[in-house]
Amino acid sequence: MTFKTMLLGVIAGTVIVASGHAMADTADKRIAFSNNYAGNSWRQAMLESWEKVAGAAAKNGTVAAADAFTTSENQATEQAAQIQNMILQGYDAIVIDAASPTAINGAIREACDAGIIVVSFDGIVTEPCAWRIAVDFKQMGRDQIKYLEKRYPDGGNLLEIRGLAGVFVDDEISAGIHEGVEGTKFKIVGSVHGDWAQDVAQKAVAGILPSLPEIAGVVTQGGDGYGAAQAFAAANRPTPTIIMGNRQDELKWWSEQNAKNGYETTSLSIAPGVSTLAFWVAQQILDGADVAKDLTVPILRVDQGDLEKMLKSTPEGSVANVEYSLDDAKNLIKSTK
Amino acid sequence: MTMTAKNNAVPTPKQGVKYLLGALSRKAWIWAYLAAGATYVAAILAGSGGGGGGIWSLLYVAFTFASFAVMVGIGQMFVVTLGPGNVDLSIPATMTLAGTVALKFMASDGALVVPGLLIAIGVGLACGLFNFGLILLMRIPPIIATLSSSFLFQSLAIWSNRGLRIKPPQSLADFATGGTVGIPNAALVALLVSVLAWVILEKAIVGRWILATGQNKRAARLGGVPVNAVHFGVYVGCAVLAGLTGFMLASFSGGANLNMGTEYMLMSIAVVVIGGSSIAGGNSNVPGIWAAALFMFLLVSMLNSYGLGAGVRLILTGLIIVSVVALASKKRGRV
Repeated sequence: MTFKTMLLGVIAGTVIVASGHAMADTADKRIAFSNNYAGNSWRQAMLESWEKVAGAAAKNGTVAAADAFTTSENQATEQAAQIQNMILQGYDAIVIDAASPTAINGAIREACDAGIIVVSFDGIVTEPCAWRIAVDFKQMGRDQIKYLEKRYPDGGNLLEIRGLAGVFVDDEISAGIHEGVEGTKFKIVGSVHGDWAQDVAQKAVAGILPSLPEIAGVVTQGGDGYGAAQAFAAANRPTPTIIMGNRQDELKWWSEQNAKNGYETTSLSIAPGVSTLAFWVAQQILDGADVAKDLTVPILRVDQGDLEKMLKSTPEGSVANVEYSLDDAKNLIKSTK
Repeated sequence: MTMTAKNNAVPTPKQGVKYLLGALSRKAWIWAYLAAGATYVAAILAGSGGGGGGIWSLLYVAFTFASFAVMVGIGQMFVVTLGPGNVDLSIPATMTLAGTVALKFMASDGALVVPGLLIAIGVGLACGLFNFGLILLMRIPPIIATLSSSFLFQSLAIWSNRGLRIKPPQSLADFATGGTVGIPNAALVALLVSVLAWVILEKAIVGRWILATGQNKRAARLGGVPVNAVHFGVYVGCAVLAGLTGFMLASFSGGANLNMGTEYMLMSIAVVVIGGSSIAGGNSNVPGIWAAALFMFLLVSMLNSYGLGAGVRLILTGLIIVSVVALASKKRGRV
């Protein structure tokens, strides 16, 4: 009796595997996602996108498994241990948002030596054997100034809100901003660290505002625009053009201001759905596609024209998002060859 | 020398500038006030033309943001008073959990402000009870217990709302960001909490119990102090204050962030130490918390205003804090 059921199970399993196999060559491949941090809305949306897209791919048999794991402490050592576990568990590919660009290179090397495909994104790793889906953070900085130049041809004073001090991303965006400002009539008169959080940005901006002259624009790094707007309002200062970072509360505030007094700005950030792009890239590599080691993530930008549409599609309190499809990944791979 | 001169020593006058200065210099918290004042003046001097309103608006802003640090700082102060090893590291997570749950419950509906507030306090209460359970019933050292429970609270906060920022009801947001007769409402709430804390610490028998426990737990127990009850009240009180602060901060900044409490971990301990309370416990004061909270805010504002880079700013922040603490403790030792 039990033998019979077991036999039946084995047959059923074989059939399922075989039918999955017909759909893609990666049907028996298992992909793990090693994530270093989950403590903000962007990361939460990123994990949700992964679940939605990669989870569906696992269910319909494109891949055998697509499991997400998050470390609790945002520590490189912890993530290295996590990757070593994944190697032991026999995953075929590891998609990773890394706590450090260099500190987990050893573990990445071990994974590569074990024949595992490693695709890093957002928080990328420098280990040459891994793939990198990087964000051009400098471009994000330059784009902000480019927009402000169009708005204020005569220049003006800028306030810069930076991210978390000592983090690579913060240095890159800021470098892009300063590069962009060079040779323009803009002048950065103040710079504070907002740690990519509305409440911290609000506090920092409120503290420096009394010492600042009139501000034309605020350049930001995402997750800090709404806090800055509140600080300006609390100080009874005219609202400058604040570059937003695609957070729903920022977009909503912008839309309200626009309805009230025609306020215009722009908003740019990386869509949390970039995790799904990394997933498909990993799947394509497993499928035998020839993929360049360095890819660039498209920046998701919201302008006045598509503000209302974007606002509608963004859940309350979340981040504007797009999920990427297999075709998006294929196009990206083709365009960077 | 002083011993022999004692017989015909002139009785110290009970009035006058000299007496006042003497009395003040005996207070550990005076240094924090001096530091805050000096920083304020320096920040004002950095002003490059924000208009005449700059002087007052900086003070207003400083009081607004200091009040959050004051509220968690008072909770932490009571915990630190309990003696070496006592510290609550779960304050940020408790703030986040209380803010998240309360704002999700209110769902921006102005009619639910009071139940929302009660929920935030309830969450704080539950967190405090949990901490106390770990520390006293399971005998886990407070640092380990509160650190591990903070993971639990943080995960609960993530699970409860997946990091979505729900807006506070408009009336509540207006209250939190507004002011009454030129004083920020947030500061008024913090002031109320401070007065209560001062009465408890300085005037009530409970305060004596807390101090006695911190100075020598064994002696306090033998002396009839209900040591366990004191621990219970202090840890639960600290968590309730953290919950209340989380509620206020979330209402103030337009929603609860999953990482909104992060900076209050170190801040809550820093304001206790800079404020002149003994980190070894058994000797605390409330006025110093205010000075330290103002000082911490003004310090960052001042360094920002002078346009210093993050590296220099962090180094200077560290150095200045160390000097203030060193100066204060040296003075205290001499008297």
